[in-house]
Amino acid sequence: MGRSALTPSRGTSLTRGPKPAFLSIPAISVLAATSLSVLPIISNHGWWPDAGFLMLIAWRLLRADAWPAWLAAPLGLIHDLMTGAPIGFAVTLWPTFMLALDVIDRRTMWRDYWIEWVLAAIFVGLFVVAQWQVAAWDGAPVYFATVAPSILVGIICFPIAAFVVARIDRWRMGK
Amino acid sequence: MVALAGTRPGWSRRAQYGLFFGFVATVATIVVGLLMLILSLAAPQSYALVRGAAMDFASPVSNALSEVADTTTGLVSGAGNYWNAARQNGELKKQRSAMLRRMIEAKAIQLENQELKRALSLRERDRRTIATGRVVGSSFASPRRFAILSVGTRDGVQVGMPVRAADGLIGRVIDAGAFASRVLLVSDRANIVPARLVRGGLPVIATGRGNGTIDVRPLEVGRNPFRKNDIIVTSGTGGLYPPLWPIARIVRLDDDGAIALPLADPGQISFALVEPPFEPAAIAEAARPEDAR
Repeated sequence: MGRSALTPSRGTSLTRGPKPAFLSIPAISVLAATSLSVLPIISNHGWWPDAGFLMLIAWRLLRADAWPAWLAAPLGLIHDLMTGAPIGFAVTLWPTFMLALDVIDRRTMWRDYWIEWVLAAIFVGLFVVAQWQVAAWDGAPVYFATVAPSILVGIICFPIAAFVVARIDRWRMGK
Repeated sequence: MVALAGTRPGWSRRAQYGLFFGFVATVATIVVGLLMLILSLAAPQSYALVRGAAMDFASPVSNALSEVADTTTGLVSGAGNYWNAARQNGELKKQRSAMLRRMIEAKAIQLENQELKRALSLRERDRRTIATGRVVGSSFASPRRFAILSVGTRDGVQVGMPVRAADGLIGRVIDAGAFASRVLLVSDRANIVPARLVRGGLPVIATGRGNGTIDVRPLEVGRNPFRKNDIIVTSGTGGLYPPLWPIARIVRLDDDGAIALPLADPGQISFALVEPPFEPAAIAEAARPEDAR
């Protein structure tokens, strides 16, 4: 959220950011990952990771200025529409996570790979628990054991998302 | 690596305001999201149009990709059929002749049934399949069990219609776009199907468990009536699902019920048939998933 308020002065090679068109790459990549939900994967379990959410968290952990925090809401709306989640679910949750990460950014002194993975694990867990609770409110109260494996799958898949995001960011910053 | 500096605007008044309004905007979107969530939980049908449009938007991709996936899996499983073909052939021939005998018996029973119904002057409504589509997607990252079907309102599909495959019941339509529709599978926790045991005709209730299996309980509490490999079929109660559609096979017993596996696996079936509801009045009820209980 914060960095977007500080529009850097352009010109010098030190403060120069990516070209304006490439500022939208993070949001576009999250949309692309969200749209993986149209893949013809017919599963009897809901254990596949939520690619859009993993990309969102990976981008936000890599860069605080990937997007303004409110942009997570429209991204969440598209997530809800594409995945069939109750509309408003990710619209509420994703900006909340962005604010939470802003707070965490102020508190943490050091950041390394393992801390990022732990943070991502916590947020993946929160996301799946929220999904489970909203499904229960929506008339489908399944046992928690039914959704617990998807937390594990999400945590294991996070490094892949982080790797993809880091590669995209390197390419984006080169432009 | 030192942590990201976070949000320190420094002395710039402009940056401070920018930060503050960014925060306000984010909180506002969270409030809006919360309202949308409450609306979609309280009145799911208020988003019917948007949801349908979103599915139509995605359907060409899903359809094209699912054809590719079908071809690939077909190549793999097709090769396996050549293994030990001669013995398989002999077994299949034996099965076929046994089936033919059973079929002739069944035809005789059907004839007798028709005559009895005529004698009782029961009238059967003409039932025609509304649309035939393919399962092109599913909710693979969610505790809900939905499938995406490649037919929509342009083919006559409406919210609430029951969907089946040749093997048995799949579920019912809960969102319909022009070219695609979303099906609530029988294995979803919110899908509760009035059913009965084929052996004995005892009325039971089939509830999804959210993991591809179904929880089956007898309507009357008492002795556990189930046996392994029992088949349950729809009873037609409630008017949504027509009677005598196969649903599931019992695979495990528990204290007062059983766990069953749906006979029609959405990942295996090639075609899904959308049928009219048994009693058309039931379609309004089915439009609200919570009230179907």
